[in-house]
Amino acid sequence: MKLHELIKENFQKENTYSVSEKMRVDEAFGIFDKLGIPSTKNEEWKYTNLKNIAEKEFKIESSLKNISDFYSKLSIQNITSNRLVFVNGIYSETLSNIIEKDKTILIDNIFSARKNHTEIYNNHFSKYAKIEGLALNAMNAALLNDGAFVFVPKGKVVEHPILIINITDSVESNILSQPRNLIVVEKSANVKLIEAYYSTGKNASFTNVVSEIYADENACVEHYKIQQQVGECYQNNFTQFFQEANTTINQVTLTLDGTVVRNNLHFYMNGENCNTLLYGLYLATENNHIDNHTRVDHAKPNCYSNELYKGILKDKSTAVFNGKIMVHLDAQKTNAYQRNQNILLSDEATINTKPQLEIFADDVKCSHGATVGQLEEEPMFYLRSRGIPENEARKMLLNAFADAIAEEIKIPELVSILEQEINNKL
Amino acid sequence: MLSIKNLQAEIEGKKILNGINLEVKPGEVHAIMGPNGAGKSTLSSVLAGREDYTVTGGEVIFNGKNLLDLSPEDRAREGVFLAFQYPVEIPGVSTTNFLKTAINEKRKYHGLEPMEATDFLKMMRAKMEFVEMDKSLTSRSLNEGFSGGEKKRNEIFQMAMLEPKLGILDETDSGLDIDALRLVSNGVNKLRNKENAFIVITHYQRLLDYIVPDFVHVLYKGRIVKSGDKELAKELEVKGYDWIKQEVEAAQ
Repeated sequence: MKLHELIKENFQKENTYSVSEKMRVDEAFGIFDKLGIPSTKNEEWKYTNLKNIAEKEFKIESSLKNISDFYSKLSIQNITSNRLVFVNGIYSETLSNIIEKDKTILIDNIFSARKNHTEIYNNHFSKYAKIEGLALNAMNAALLNDGAFVFVPKGKVVEHPILIINITDSVESNILSQPRNLIVVEKSANVKLIEAYYSTGKNASFTNVVSEIYADENACVEHYKIQQQVGECYQNNFTQFFQEANTTINQVTLTLDGTVVRNNLHFYMNGENCNTLLYGLYLATENNHIDNHTRVDHAKPNCYSNELYKGILKDKSTAVFNGKIMVHLDAQKTNAYQRNQNILLSDEATINTKPQLEIFADDVKCSHGATVGQLEEEPMFYLRSRGIPENEARKMLLNAFADAIAEEIKIPELVSILEQEINNKL
Repeated sequence: MLSIKNLQAEIEGKKILNGINLEVKPGEVHAIMGPNGAGKSTLSSVLAGREDYTVTGGEVIFNGKNLLDLSPEDRAREGVFLAFQYPVEIPGVSTTNFLKTAINEKRKYHGLEPMEATDFLKMMRAKMEFVEMDKSLTSRSLNEGFSGGEKKRNEIFQMAMLEPKLGILDETDSGLDIDALRLVSNGVNKLRNKENAFIVITHYQRLLDYIVPDFVHVLYKGRIVKSGDKELAKELEVKGYDWIKQEVEAAQ
């Protein structure tokens, strides 16, 4: 059964929703059913072909095997953190662990929040990530598995990061999972979040995740995304930040593996004096295809955004960067900067990069640019002339290239994971 | 130590070196002078193993090994050090990490264990003092934002750390003011001993006031056309290169 039919069949079986929820999921399903899986004729999907996914037979099912061995070997374990673990999209109570002592800070799964924190859930769920015209978002909304729910009340600071781990286990069959995360950060509250993606098993998997992150006035959010799914793994990852006035978001996306990864990272600045920093590093090897679509909506005046995405491509890999900055009509005094830099280590690697600025206000400072190049010969020779062998010199230079992103990561264990991946893969 | 015989090299089909002969023994300092375009920097690049150049003839024997057969890194590990005319800025690579890697790679090549971190730091401190290098420079990325003088001093500092048998200074004096020139030369002079040798490549005589050579060679059109002692350098300072050019042309 192809993906579209799979969703249709399972959607019709699903009946756990309340009356008001039913309207929402019906609408979502209607949108998905009408649009179908996007094809490359869709401008937004010009370089990322989902045909493989659309025609593959997936199953929606929980993991049968004991995943704790696999889980315990993940190096991300070294981070002292609150953990929410999902396997094939389904919440694992045994692997999850909350160390936060303040019980007013809620760190839970979405299904539990729907039942136990209904008011917050109803106020925020599905309010930020659009589904109109976005088939995969609609598909997620129509038939989501489970996901993380975080609520940080006014003025609270979550001491340790919250780690949201998604593992797909495709040992038995091709797996479809649709995680859904909701993060609500109230006024002047402060939180660090890490979303991490892993896989085990020889079959294929498709992870279609949607996250909504709401930051109320003066809130501060540090958000990391680390994607390390190995094997035949497809991922569509949509994240919508919704920022009220005076909020600061520091977002870093590290895409270190994956057959096809499509990230859609969106920010909407709904108040003045917002600060949005978005950094990305992608390492593509073999036949990996990594696509980063970002969009920053400057909807109000006096906001600042700075974006830097860096890519290292090897073998026959391909990557896409499409960064859009929208400066709305009344967003005067906007400062928006965007850069994309790429190193191609092979003649067969391809990057399609498209920095985009759309400006409707007249008093703004914006810049954008993209570079594509190879590892430079002169620094290479300099290092070798000091006795450093070629492969070691290459690693040093690639680490140096990645350094501008590593500097923005405030969690040292994540920096080590990044360095290790660079050293192992390149 | 170093024996260059009839060395010929070209870049993109253009012949630059037309048969260089040079013998360097331990403890010696050889200056190589010559007008622009004579092939001075090509010679240093070929000796260090820069891949842009193709060697079309001749041989270079360094302590019994055929230098031209070795990769740039192996030449360095055998004890060749090129102080660059234009040291590269490498943002994101720390000077400390770079030197630690370089030293341990060299040790590995010679069958030695890696250096203990504390010993390494001690050595760094000692050598920094030795070449009068500002400590703050090593805490930064390699050459990043360094002035011309700081970059050249960093080259000498690296040389002090790696203790080469043969140091090649490629126009180390270019772009240096008199104070920086003195500091760099002092560093080199302190590193001179009976075991090592230097090839000092320069356009001007003024560096040779500080680093006094045992031999001076004049390179012109890819050949050594005249050799002498330090008096030759002084003569060149007064008379320029034209008389050498005329001599060569007359002989042809």
